[in-house]
Amino acid sequence: MPIISDRVEIERKPKLGGGGPGKIPHRRGFGGGDDGDRGRPEDFRSRNQRMRRYRIGMALCLVSVTAVFVALTFLYVFRLGKGRYDEDAHRWVTDWITLKLPYLLLWTNSLVLLLSSATLELARRTMEKKEEFAAMGIVPPRMRRDLPWLGITLLLGFGFLAGQVVVWNTLRHQGVYLVSNPSRSYFYLLTGTHAVHLAGGLLALLYAAGGRFLALRFESQRIAVEVTSWYWHYLAFLWFGIFALVHFARG
Amino acid sequence: MSVALRLALLLVVLGCVYLFLAHPYWFPAGASSLSGLIDHQFRIALWVFGALFVVGHLILVWALSKKPHAGGMASQGSWQLEVTWTVAVTIIFFWFNISGDHLWSSMMPPAKHGTEIDVEVTGAQFQWYFRYPGADGAFGKTDAQKFARPDEGNPLGIDPSDPAGRDDIVSTAMIVPVGHAVQLHLRAQDVVHSLFIPAMRFKQDTVPGMEIISHFTPTKIGAYEIACAELCGLGHYRMRAVVRVVSEAEFAAWLKQHGSF
Amino acid sequence: MPMLNQTPDPKAIRNDSDPSLRSGFQKARNLFSTDHKIIGRQYFFLSLAAVLVGAWLSLLMRIHLVWPKAIILFLGEIKPENYLAQLTMHGTLMVFFVLSTVPQAGFGTFFLPLQLGARNMAFPRLAAVGFWTALTSFLVLMAAFFVPGGAPGAGWTQYPPLSALASAGPGQGLGTDLWLVSIGLFCLSSLMSAAGFVATTVSHRAPGMTWMRMPLTCWSWFVTSILILLAFGILLAAVVLLMLDRHAGTSFFLPGGLLISGRAIAHSGGSPLLWQHLFWFFGHPEVYIAVLPAMGVTSHLLSVFARKPVFGYKAMVGATLAIGALGFMVWGHHMFVSGMNPYAGFAFSTLTTAIAVPSAIKTFNWVATLYGGRIRYATPLLFSAGFVSLFITGGLTGPILAQPALDTYLHDTYFVVAHFHLIMAMAGLFAIFSATHFWFPRMFGRMMNERLGRLHFWITLFGAYAIFVPMHLLGIAGHPRRYSDLSGVQYVAAMAPLQKFITLAAIVTIAGQLIFLANLFWSMRRGPAAETNPWECGTLEWTPASYATKEGPGEWRPQVNHGPYEYNVPGAENDFIMQDAPAS
Ligand code: HEA
Ligand code: HEA
Ligand code: CUA
Ligand SMILES: [Cu+2]
Repeated sequence: MPIISDRVEIERKPKLGGGGPGKIPHRRGFGGGDDGDRGRPEDFRSRNQRMRRYRIGMALCLVSVTAVFVALTFLYVFRLGKGRYDEDAHRWVTDWITLKLPYLLLWTNSLVLLLSSATLELARRTMEKKEEFAAMGIVPPRMRRDLPWLGITLLLGFGFLAGQVVVWNTLRHQGVYLVSNPSRSYFYLLTGTHAVHLAGGLLALLYAAGGRFLALRFESQRIAVEVTSWYWHYLAFLWFGIFALVHFARG
Repeated sequence: MSVALRLALLLVVLGCVYLFLAHPYWFPAGASSLSGLIDHQFRIALWVFGALFVVGHLILVWALSKKPHAGGMASQGSWQLEVTWTVAVTIIFFWFNISGDHLWSSMMPPAKHGTEIDVEVTGAQFQWYFRYPGADGAFGKTDAQKFARPDEGNPLGIDPSDPAGRDDIVSTAMIVPVGHAVQLHLRAQDVVHSLFIPAMRFKQDTVPGMEIISHFTPTKIGAYEIACAELCGLGHYRMRAVVRVVSEAEFAAWLKQHGSF
Repeated sequence: MPMLNQTPDPKAIRNDSDPSLRSGFQKARNLFSTDHKIIGRQYFFLSLAAVLVGAWLSLLMRIHLVWPKAIILFLGEIKPENYLAQLTMHGTLMVFFVLSTVPQAGFGTFFLPLQLGARNMAFPRLAAVGFWTALTSFLVLMAAFFVPGGAPGAGWTQYPPLSALASAGPGQGLGTDLWLVSIGLFCLSSLMSAAGFVATTVSHRAPGMTWMRMPLTCWSWFVTSILILLAFGILLAAVVLLMLDRHAGTSFFLPGGLLISGRAIAHSGGSPLLWQHLFWFFGHPEVYIAVLPAMGVTSHLLSVFARKPVFGYKAMVGATLAIGALGFMVWGHHMFVSGMNPYAGFAFSTLTTAIAVPSAIKTFNWVATLYGGRIRYATPLLFSAGFVSLFITGGLTGPILAQPALDTYLHDTYFVVAHFHLIMAMAGLFAIFSATHFWFPRMFGRMMNERLGRLHFWITLFGAYAIFVPMHLLGIAGHPRRYSDLSGVQYVAAMAPLQKFITLAAIVTIAGQLIFLANLFWSMRRGPAAETNPWECGTLEWTPASYATKEGPGEWRPQVNHGPYEYNVPGAENDFIMQDAPAS
């Protein structure tokens, strides 16, 4: 991390520094710009730089995703805790109806999502290896096996979404509508938001898998898979968070 | 240019100071048990921050007028100064902040001790309704959606089948006896309103779905205007009412007069 | 890197050596460019359009307040619903499309890469998409004026139930839907551009551009972007929930038993306070999102025009970070009388007082930066000094409002309007004005007219104070906000004379803005061609080489050897040292 390194360097002198005349020892290769490629100005577009850039981008994306889900969780808990003022009884009563979750379906979905996470990780690793070999100039035939993994991940991903739709439908058939009770609204809200985010990840994976036809450079394909895998694992983690929330805090 | 800028800033300061000293408009005379304390706190606030405003600008003007010292390198800062003024403003701001805490706690709903007058306030687009529990001291149930008939004298939707509601008094003006703590039960029928009684230094939003308990104690006989302070729609600006602070006897008479319908 | 640090020859540095200028951005090919310079200008003009509409609306509001019967050209008489619609749109435009757009996405997109010594933003395409999303969002918002029922009238804070029920008033129907869609799009656009900003700052700094060598503008853009990433997602969520309440029949914000104009509402179980918490959890960081870049610009310019290093650079950085962090813990100060648990008032008022401290530190450092400088009284400096003055004036009412006992009286009165117009509206605009005058030569290759600039400054300075300081008195006398008419309440009606004065001041001030516009557009065409570094500023956006930047390998890669604010260094041949000058 550049920050650490400069701090050590700069703050030897007890002054506010930075603003003014060159108290900072001149040293090459500080700051972000060239961290990936010390002293090799031309490869600004080098793979390292691009990978680094997209990783940062994804990290930031995860930051706001987190913000949103934390907010929703806050709402859920807030609403669960709060009651409604009962006009007749002149007292606070809670109107939160505990909803019966179709656990079997939910667990199968969770399993599917977990599997997809695993296969995506495999896809990512094979690509990583393949890249290393490519760097050496030799790509052994068995290394062509990254697309299958991606394909399987896609299938599982769509499987999970389909599963969620089934969950919503079964709830609907039990007469549990979005509007029928706050507990319902929040359940649909949390799972729905999660599904939307996951769909975004699926698009990215489609893009990576379709690399062949989009004539993507292997490098771009590799980067896409890399960052999407971060996103994907994170969403899997979030899913279990949501599951735990609606299970343990079901009122 | 330098001179002009400094003059302009000084002019601005003078103008502001003059405006606040002349203050063509100011707080309405306070009429509640707390208004004295609150006004005192306001006086502190305005003097302290007014002073900071003047001092701040004087320092700015002075800095602008300071001639550059020839040669040598301009300062890039000094921790001593940073610490000094940080500590200084921290002390000023937090002293001021803490000095207001006891006021806030005294404005919070106190434990009920029976002597206070209960008034239920309901905000509705764009009218205030004030309900008194009547002789039995109990408010009748309401269900606005079922029973509200503004034209038939039942705007709040008091449940006709509830005996406690029979003797409730609903008025469009708030009548309260002087010197009594008034316990307000604030509610709203449609959107968020805010009951603002400047003379009592009182303001509280009324939120649909909530009953908010709040209180004030009028200390001067008279009529004081109530305004709505939360945007509630087209009529927000004319959602006006009056609180009439009367003597105990008058209040009792008024209750008797309206007690039965 | 041979092309760096060579003494530029006068002809080469005519700014048309900037490719993005040479092929004027009107050309269709450039319209969808991913060049940060073009995107930055596009944001600039978007905000210009927004601010013109916003200022025009404020003019209509002011006139209607004091001459309710006035017939305004093309619009006829203004009815209350028009006033509330104008109020809502004025606030929305000014906060989102002006103050959250020019200082950050506008100047930031243009100058962040240049000041860091990078060729372009980290995600050029994302930046472009961000702009086009913002433009769409702007057009959707404008459309609200033309739908049946007109624009929404619930204020820029859009409190439900008023904003959640079409039956609650005109403009609460389609108009509000458009408002929500527009703000949703705006959130997405801000998130996109903010992600680009952070990535650029972290990974695109030129060799030697350490964190402590970044100009304070970059620090502000960086911290603001992080605030955006954390805050705008929340607003997006809130907007979606409100949409669901309006159209999917959910009850997140709607309690049971509502009776609106005699009609029973079916919803039940929600809580209006929930929206207020969500909105202000976004809303307070938002106001710092609006002012942090303005602070950065001010620090930068004061140093340049005082020919002195920024006083206490590290303290400035620290204060910026502190404001960013505390900004998320004070939202409750907008809700002291909302029905929130009164005990929370203590916590929020203390935290709010705490956040005033770093702001004060910044103020002191600005003053100290000016102290004893060889000050050059150009228009940018005038506006920056004006910023400091307005920030003090508007800021000092903050701690008063932060005290629940006093805010109980002042909340939703004109005192608040005065507070935020001085510290946000006027201070923010002053920063925009100074930045515009300062960077105009870099953005458009020509100089703006100094005399017009100064004239505009005097009018706007006195205008700002004349409009908004009297509003404190209105608030102290108990004049509530968002009143479309003074006749409704007697003690309010009594304040008409002061309101008249404010309106007159506003008319003059707004008229004065025409000078700025004339200056702006005249200078774009006819202004004298600018030199490469007209203000003798040390940061990288003024290096000759930076004018030629195009994204691409081996293009522009300055080696940074100096701090951003090295002015009047003893023994240096110039009174300033470019950051990429050879190390001494
Ligand atoms: C740029 C935007 C901005 C900024 C920076 C601030 C800064 C502050 N604001 Fe403000 N505020 C708003 C924009 C902003 N505000 C808006 C838009 C609203 C209304 C929203 C709405 O309802 O529509 C609002 C409303 C608002 C409220 C709610 C009022 C109400 O509705 O009842 C409160 C209450 O605590 C508050 C407090 C503060 C405080 C304590 C600061 C502090 O950060 C201020 C710190 C600054 C100073 C303290 C001055 C520094 C100078 C000195 C101290 C030096 C002087 C002395 C010498 C030099 C010797 N603000
Ligand atoms: C940036 C924010 C901003 C700005 C600049 C302004 C500018 C002005 N505002 Fe506004 N205002 C708000 C933000 C702003 N306001 C908000 C958030 C509200 C609350 C809304 C609500 O309650 O919901 C509000 C509410 C509000 C009210 C309260 C109404 C009420 O509560 O009943 C009033 C009343 O007088 C008012 C008046 C004015 C006036 C006369 C100006 C004049 O100063 C206008 C003069 C115009 C300028 C000085 C700008 C000119 C700039 C340029 C020409 C170019 C610069 C731009 C670029 C270079 C890109 N405003
Ligand atoms: Cu009721 Cu405003
Ligand atoms: Cu705030």
